[in-house]
Amino acid sequence: MSNANPYQRRRVLNRFLEVVVTIAIVTFCLGPLFWVLSTSLKPMGAEYLIPPELWPSKPTLQAYEVILGISEPGREDAQESSLTGVEEVGVASTLGFLLPIRNSLIVATSVAVCALLVSALAAYAIARLRFQWKIQSLMLLWVGGLLPAVMVIAPTFVLMRTFGLLKTLPAMILPNIAYNIPLATWLLAIYFSTLPWELEDAAKVDGYKPLQIFWKVILPLSAPGLFSAGVFAFLGSWGEFMLASVVSMGIADVQTVPVAILNLSFEYRYQWTWISAAIIVSVGLMVFVALIFQRWVIQGLTAGSVKY
Amino acid sequence: MKIRLREPALAVVFILPALIFVALFLYYPLLQTFFYSFFKLHRTVDWLNESFVGLRNYVAVFKSEAFRDSFLFTLYFTVLTVVLELSLGLGMAIATFSVHHRLRGILRAVLVVPWAIPPIVSAMLWKWLFHADAGVFAYLLTSSGMVENVPPFLTNPTLAIHSIIIASVWKNASIMGILLLGGLASIPNDVYDAAKVDGARTGFRFRRVTFPMLVPTILVTVLFRALLALRMFELSYAMTGGGPGTTTDTLSTFAYKYFFTYARFGVGSSYAMVIFAFVFAVAIIYVSRVRGNLRFKE
Repeated sequence: MSNANPYQRRRVLNRFLEVVVTIAIVTFCLGPLFWVLSTSLKPMGAEYLIPPELWPSKPTLQAYEVILGISEPGREDAQESSLTGVEEVGVASTLGFLLPIRNSLIVATSVAVCALLVSALAAYAIARLRFQWKIQSLMLLWVGGLLPAVMVIAPTFVLMRTFGLLKTLPAMILPNIAYNIPLATWLLAIYFSTLPWELEDAAKVDGYKPLQIFWKVILPLSAPGLFSAGVFAFLGSWGEFMLASVVSMGIADVQTVPVAILNLSFEYRYQWTWISAAIIVSVGLMVFVALIFQRWVIQGLTAGSVKY
Repeated sequence: MKIRLREPALAVVFILPALIFVALFLYYPLLQTFFYSFFKLHRTVDWLNESFVGLRNYVAVFKSEAFRDSFLFTLYFTVLTVVLELSLGLGMAIATFSVHHRLRGILRAVLVVPWAIPPIVSAMLWKWLFHADAGVFAYLLTSSGMVENVPPFLTNPTLAIHSIIIASVWKNASIMGILLLGGLASIPNDVYDAAKVDGARTGFRFRRVTFPMLVPTILVTVLFRALLALRMFELSYAMTGGGPGTTTDTLSTFAYKYFFTYARFGVGSSYAMVIFAFVFAVAIIYVSRVRGNLRFKE
């Protein structure tokens, strides 16, 4: 008779409350995304139905085909759009979301690789080499990361014009490397300093030079630290908007995902199935990356802002 | 010829590439912005050949009503989002900490999701949720009979301000939760055990044991979020474009508009320097707290 056992009853109640709380938090975090996913699967126009459907009765990938440039928005779509007040429709090139995804992948990957390399070298020197001003060097590299983007955007634009890099991807890659060095150096310096000091002694006995110790001993042992720093640089430069929007100067060929999605929403501001599909496409990959590297993301976040 | 460097010199060589990047793209532009703010720059940034106006840009900024609005909005936004994020984040951290370990795994994964979404994309997402005709909130409010006409979430000043705050809280509360979870996990178990042995009940344990030990983490988390909230740009820019009027313009969107819409680099730079003053004040406290226990073997 379970009723007779108050302890067991309380445990069941606790377990029930735990599940309720979990569902509430999951709904809070994923609910908005679920709604956009649902919208993205609706046929065009169905997003305005009242009452709205929680989940489309006839889910379709139409919006994704338009976004990814597989099918061009047809004549019916054009009519629909002119009714809703959009002047220009049917410019397939502005809708091909594949190009921005390619651009963003190029930018994010180059930034992550370069920032990791440069930061790891600096962090290694700070954490493992004998010299004064260690803390001061780390502070100098780290504090710059606290600067608001708008503080540096105008001179950076001018700098890129001087270099002749406007309307090119390197104009986004180079400054983004700098933006991601502070956190990466910080995380890696803390990580490197936790490795045992016997490593160096042993390697020196074997005749390793500092650069060899860095490359062959420290780096291979630092995968977790490199993962978290790398994921941050990748996600950060993938989502970076202000610089990307300013240096791309409206040229479709060099737009990254955040810039393209905003332009899409200006040009087709009534086509929320399309915009929703674009949101899901650009969010999907990042959420995937963040979930795969979840452990390192959480470690990195904690070490990068609170732990001290 | 083979060059042999001693360790201090080698360290400088290793740090140099990072330092060059940071100096070129962060510190040098900061200095430039500072210089710009003292010159009259319209459609040009050639400050060496333009007229020096001293503090006149700053005076113009402080005098304008638009500045007052954006200044107040930025402060209001920062305080309210950080407070709401802290309360929600603390709740989620405690929940995640205390549920069964299988559920904890799910919750930790889910908490990462809003953080991983690019700011501009989350702004678009919330713009759709707050859509006046077909948004999900419009539907929920009208169908539940709470209101007759759909409130204009993004076109009424007060509503727009709070819609943006809700979007920001959604994006950042979970990350606050993760950071506080780290703080909770670092409280040693024997502290709880001792409290239990002393017969402290759950509520009492939280107030007298957990919370006081969490205060340092809370403080740093709040400072960290305040640093980011003070510069908020994307949500206003994409959700309302600063509107209606200039009610949801932050200091950042205003500086940006002065730069790239009006091409008035001097005034824009003064705006940017005002943000810098605030960020600087918060950053000093934050940095001093964070660097406190930082130690490296010399």
